[in-house]
Amino acid sequence: MWKGMIYKEWLKIRWFLLIYAGIGILSVVYCFIRVQHDITFSSPNGYWYFLLFMGGQYFSLLKFLPGIGALAIAIAQYFPETVSKRIKLTFHLPLNENKALLTMWLFGAGTLFISYLLQFLLFTGLSLIYFPGDIFVPAISSILPWFLAGFACYNLTALIVLEPVWKYRIFYLIVAVLFVPLLLQSALTDGFSPVNPFMAVLVLLSSFSLLFSGYRFRKGEM
Amino acid sequence: MSEYAIECNNLTHYYGKKLVYENLNIKVREGSILGLLGKNGAGKTTTINILNGFLQPRSGECLIYGENTQHLTPENKARIGFLIEGHVQYAFMNIHQIEKFYSKFYDKWDNEPYWQLMSKLKVTPTQKISTMSCGQRSQVALGLILAQDPDLLILDDFSMGLDPGYRRLFIDYLREYAKAKNKTIFTTSHIIQDMERLIDDVLIMDYNRVLAQRDVNEFMREFKQFYLEVENPSIDLSKEDFVANFEKVNNKIEIYTYESEEMVQNFLKSNGISYKNFEKIEMGLEDAFIGLTGKY
Repeated sequence: MWKGMIYKEWLKIRWFLLIYAGIGILSVVYCFIRVQHDITFSSPNGYWYFLLFMGGQYFSLLKFLPGIGALAIAIAQYFPETVSKRIKLTFHLPLNENKALLTMWLFGAGTLFISYLLQFLLFTGLSLIYFPGDIFVPAISSILPWFLAGFACYNLTALIVLEPVWKYRIFYLIVAVLFVPLLLQSALTDGFSPVNPFMAVLVLLSSFSLLFSGYRFRKGEM
Repeated sequence: MSEYAIECNNLTHYYGKKLVYENLNIKVREGSILGLLGKNGAGKTTTINILNGFLQPRSGECLIYGENTQHLTPENKARIGFLIEGHVQYAFMNIHQIEKFYSKFYDKWDNEPYWQLMSKLKVTPTQKISTMSCGQRSQVALGLILAQDPDLLILDDFSMGLDPGYRRLFIDYLREYAKAKNKTIFTTSHIIQDMERLIDDVLIMDYNRVLAQRDVNEFMREFKQFYLEVENPSIDLSKEDFVANFEKVNNKIEIYTYESEEMVQNFLKSNGISYKNFEKIEMGLEDAFIGLTGKY
């Protein structure tokens, strides 16, 4: 049965996922084309000075990308379920309703994770070519919250889209608007590293939140 | 083991403070086709939602094959085919993808009736369901239910948006299938002529109450309409015990009742009501429905 659920979710998000993964990889590559350009047209010493002492970030292009990708994938995945209350079809399948929702979540979050991982590995690999550890380790610590923001966006969008009660939907939207920007605050490179584990736990906790919306739908709340 | 596929006991539901119904009892025999009729807002979709576990009633319970519909097990859900109002399906899939998807969930899946129906549709193999007409979508939804081979079919307003040809096709296919394989059907439709060809039992709901629940042929035999013209147009028979409904335009009267022609005529005579042109009117199910529930 899980194969059936995965097939359905894949049909909904495949184009969004592939386009996002493509844009993600191209964006990482573009960051390093710019690095190469700056190193070539200024001096390497000057460029490193700019990164180490002036708070320069060679990866700033990637800031909003995980969030935008997660938003697109979550909408592609969950919005079709709410049109004409199509989620009833999913809940009527011969499997536990929470299990159905968690399979949907697991597939969406899993594919997002894979596309983030591809970007991350490419980013790390290219950083290793261009920079010493003193530069790229803080850089990685700086981009982690952006990926966390992506997962938070995905979880909260699922929660909001599936929610049948408008007052809750608005409440969740306010929570999302307040929470996600916390992960995208402008900070010095590596400035987020002390709070990264705490933020990761918060994002993880939001993972199961779509079950609340599913429960309310099944109880007929409007 | 109960002889009923569906049993709803003392069902009461409110939307906010508005009462939908109180202490509603429904029983659907295994192998029978029950049509739930009611005006808009009488609680048809509410009942379907409770039956499918998408709405928790204020009190009372519905059982399907002995299980409370609020907590149906996957095994029991596999025995129930569900048609959502408007033939809603996964519109982003085409007819091959949707068959492949559902086939993974049902052990008894038999795609033959599905492809038989699909062969009658003029759709391309890659055409998405979202681009199909309502009639074509109805055949996809019906084909999927037939392939699932459920023991109980719950159909919410299956005639919605269908032209007469597709409605007839849907009903004929469905009745043939249900009778050949001893399936139980619980259905609503706002086009009552359709029900006449399909159902064995009828359940007629009005706001907050059940007006009739019985064998449809028995109901049609026993429920009658009499037309007469009275001399005194101010006469009002609506409060009489034997009158199920009473409609009057000037001196022209329609009486709906379960009583015999003889009884009605005797009543009129014994109460000194002068009348002429007394006539028993033959009714279809739609006439009987309007007769019982009233025009307003």
